[in-house]
Amino acid sequence: MTPPVTDSLREYARGIAGGLMFSLPLLYTMEVWWAGFVADPLRLILYVATVFVLLLGYNHYAGLHHDACWSEVVIDSVEEMGLGILVAAGMLFLLGQIETDHTAVEIVGKITIEAMTVAIGISIGTSQLGGDEAKAKGGAEASAKTEASFGGQLAIAGCGAVLFASNVAPTEEILLIATESHLLKILGLVLLSLTITASILYYIEFSGSRPLERAGESILSVVMGTMVSYAVALAVSAAVLWFFGRFEEVALLTCVAQTVVLGLAATLGASAGRLLLQ
Amino acid sequence: MKKIKKNWLEWTVFALSTVLIASVIGFLAYESAMLGEALPDIQLQVGTPEARTGYFAVPIEASNRGDQTAEGVHIEVVLRSGKEEERSDIEIQFLPRRGRREAWVTFKTDPRAGTLEARVLGYEKP
Repeated sequence: MTPPVTDSLREYARGIAGGLMFSLPLLYTMEVWWAGFVADPLRLILYVATVFVLLLGYNHYAGLHHDACWSEVVIDSVEEMGLGILVAAGMLFLLGQIETDHTAVEIVGKITIEAMTVAIGISIGTSQLGGDEAKAKGGAEASAKTEASFGGQLAIAGCGAVLFASNVAPTEEILLIATESHLLKILGLVLLSLTITASILYYIEFSGSRPLERAGESILSVVMGTMVSYAVALAVSAAVLWFFGRFEEVALLTCVAQTVVLGLAATLGASAGRLLLQ
Repeated sequence: MKKIKKNWLEWTVFALSTVLIASVIGFLAYESAMLGEALPDIQLQVGTPEARTGYFAVPIEASNRGDQTAEGVHIEVVLRSGKEEERSDIEIQFLPRRGRREAWVTFKTDPRAGTLEARVLGYEKP
C-alpha cells in the first residue's frame, strides 16, 4: 500500500525544517560562500560523494523507514540531497548571494557546499523530529534495530561529527585559536574532549536516549568507546579542515592544533549522534 | 527484493533530485576538466563618470580571466587633468576565477575633464 501524499508532504516539510535548523549557521557564514568558489571543483565532487556515503549510512541505521531495503535507502538519500540543493539554492538567493553578475561556477560552488550540510540536516530532521505516529509506525522494527552494528555506530557518529564540525570549520577563528593559544591549552582541549565524550556516552542521560552502559561493563570498554568516538571526531575534523583548505601552507603543528580545536565540536556531534540517533 | 512503496509525490521528488544531483556533479566535473592552472589575470574597465552630490563617481569593472580566485584585489585609479593629479583606490574582497565584480571610485574634481588610468596594485592567494 502506498503512503498517502499528505503524509509524505509532511515528512518532506519536517525534513526541510530540520535541514534549516541544523544548517542555518553555515548559510549565514560568508567564509562558506567564499569556500564555494575558492575550492577546486574536483574537491567539491569528492565532498558530495562523501556526504552521500554518510547519508546512506545514516539512513540505513537510523532512518525513518526502519524496514527499508537498500534501494529505498538509496532513494531516500538521493531525495535528501536533492532537497538540500533546492533549499540551499533558495536560501542563498534570499540572502542575496546569487546575483546576475556571478558566474555559474561561483553559484554552483556555493550551492553545493551549503547543500551538503542542509542534506544531513534534512536526513536527521526527517527521522528525529518525527511525531508520535511516525515513531509508532517504525516502533516494532526500531526496537529490533536499536543494536546498531559497529559500522552503523561509526556512520552515525560520522554524520553527527560532520554536522557539528562543518558549522565552525570554515571560520577564521579555528586557525586563530590553533596558532595563538599555548600548546598546553590545546592539550587541555584534548582532555576536555575526551571527558565530554565519555560523559555523554556513559554518564549523562539525555532524554530519549539509552546509555550505552550495560550491566557488567568494564572500564576497558568505556575507554574503548570513548576513544572510538574521539577518533571519528578527529578524522572528520581533519577531513573537513582539509576540504576548506585549512591545511594549505601551514606547519604540521598548526594542522594538528586546528584538528584538535575543531575536534571538540566534532566529538560533541559524534557522541550525541551515537546516543540520540540509535 | 520487496516492492518499494512510493506515491507519485515521492517519485517526483526522487526524479527531480536525481536530475539536480546529476547536473551539479556533471557541471562540476566539466568545470574541473576545463579548469587550468592559470594565475589570476585581472582586467579593469573604467566606465563613464557620473556626477553625484559633491563628488564624482567612476564605475570600475574588474574581471578575472585566470583559473584561480584572487583575494583582496587592490585597485588604484589616477585622474590626470592638466598638471593636477588625483588618486583614488578601492579594494575588492574576492574576485572569483573567471568572475567579475563592479565597484566605484570617487573623485573631487570632474573626471570628464581629464584622463583616467586604472591599475591593479596587488592581490593575494585566498
